[in-house]
Amino acid sequence: MDSSAHQQAYDRGSTIFSPDGRLYQVEYAREAVERGAPSVGVVADDCTVLAARKRVRSPLLEPTSVEKVHAVDDHLAVASAGHAADARQLVDVARRASQQHRLRYDEPIDVELLAKRLANHVQEQTQTGGSRPYGAALLVGGLDVTGGTDRPRLFEVDPSGTPYGWNAAAIGEGTNDVRQFFEAAFDDESGRQWAIETALEGLAVTTDDDLSPETLEVRTIGSHGGGVQTLSTDRVADVLAEVGSE
Amino acid sequence: MRQRVHDRTVARNAVESIASAGEDRFAVPARRDGQTNSDDSRAIVKTGTTTLGVVGADVAVLAADTRASLGGQFVTNQRARKIEPVDDRMAVAFAGSVSDAQSFVRRLRADLRLYKLRHGRPASVETAATVAGDLVRRGPYRILELVLAGVDDAPALYQIGRGGSVMRTEYAASGSGMQLAYGALEDAYEPDLEVTEIRSLACSVVYSATERDTASGDGTTLAAVTDDGVDLETFDTPEAAVAATSEEVA
Repeated sequence: MDSSAHQQAYDRGSTIFSPDGRLYQVEYAREAVERGAPSVGVVADDCTVLAARKRVRSPLLEPTSVEKVHAVDDHLAVASAGHAADARQLVDVARRASQQHRLRYDEPIDVELLAKRLANHVQEQTQTGGSRPYGAALLVGGLDVTGGTDRPRLFEVDPSGTPYGWNAAAIGEGTNDVRQFFEAAFDDESGRQWAIETALEGLAVTTDDDLSPETLEVRTIGSHGGGVQTLSTDRVADVLAEVGSE
Repeated sequence: MRQRVHDRTVARNAVESIASAGEDRFAVPARRDGQTNSDDSRAIVKTGTTTLGVVGADVAVLAADTRASLGGQFVTNQRARKIEPVDDRMAVAFAGSVSDAQSFVRRLRADLRLYKLRHGRPASVETAATVAGDLVRRGPYRILELVLAGVDDAPALYQIGRGGSVMRTEYAASGSGMQLAYGALEDAYEPDLEVTEIRSLACSVVYSATERDTASGDGTTLAAVTDDGVDLETFDTPEAAVAATSEEVA
């Protein structure tokens, strides 16, 4: 009783440190992310792939209304895990940030810069009085198109507001298992098809059930003028069949 | 000098036209009542641009001259582009202040892109015209007259006035050459013309205006907006534009 009362004082407001230097509210937010359906990202030679598994809790629910991967600009998309409501707000922050960058500099924003802009915004909520941290993590995937050659990139933004650059990453349920799988599978000279297959295989690690195409969302952000493309359910089913037969 | 404008190149093309910035005006007509505008920046504006738009069977065409001038008195740039793509199937032609126009185009592009991301589909031409009219009325842009052309279910053309009025029309002109352009348009316009016919018509109209309006001239920019996108072309002289496009007419 005593100890729980003691701890409560440090987990009420996110701006308060515990005596051992922890921010409980931020840790709870991370916990919320880990309970969320997973999203993964894989960087290939010429594109970044973002994929997500959706929880469709009733056959009456329209699967397309559960959105986990969002287009943010012609060269950018964001995948989320955790509280969907919080993630939606972050997606709009991302969209506005990328358009503000175009307005101000007349060029598309770099993936890393957008991830850092989002991270700044997320971090602010862990330090501002009266606010709570975002209960969602993001994978920001896209192409840097300003350096002359298109370069696919992938960044994670977690609820503490820290950006991390990855070659392949997962957020949400089963992240550690997916990471181990990606570490074994990673090959830094591989194409779009490999990246799509690897992303779906990564998602398969997070569940004992078979993946069903209707509950998956896959987008590629590619060069050669491809932009953000959504894989059709049929195409996802084809890839799943290929992956399954290997 | 024919270029196909894809979405990706839009930003780079805009950078080119920034080089022509300054206090330049693609001037709009002076007040007809002979009174001076109280706003100093408006008093500078005398004559200048000719821009126009025409709707056809499956196409909306914009055309403009390429002269930027200070009050129609001094030519500050002979290769100014007064037509810019603002979405995959939409372009705008502008007369007025160069600085206002460039800033406006960037803003409209950003707004239309946000619309597309939030709605999951591109804005209709009507929506784009409403947004553009709102920006002119409430935004920081003062001297701007626009002709907006685009294709959604069908081609459409809107003229957007200096106060932010939005009017749908089959053909329109703006800038100091507008009276000359309207004269030529009234004679030549017919409903449902083919792409090649409208391109040729539009270039003739720009040519007519540049012949008699001293502050329009130098070259012609032509944009044909179809379901396939914005096809933007620039000709070194109004005569060359007429010659090239009249050849295409069967």
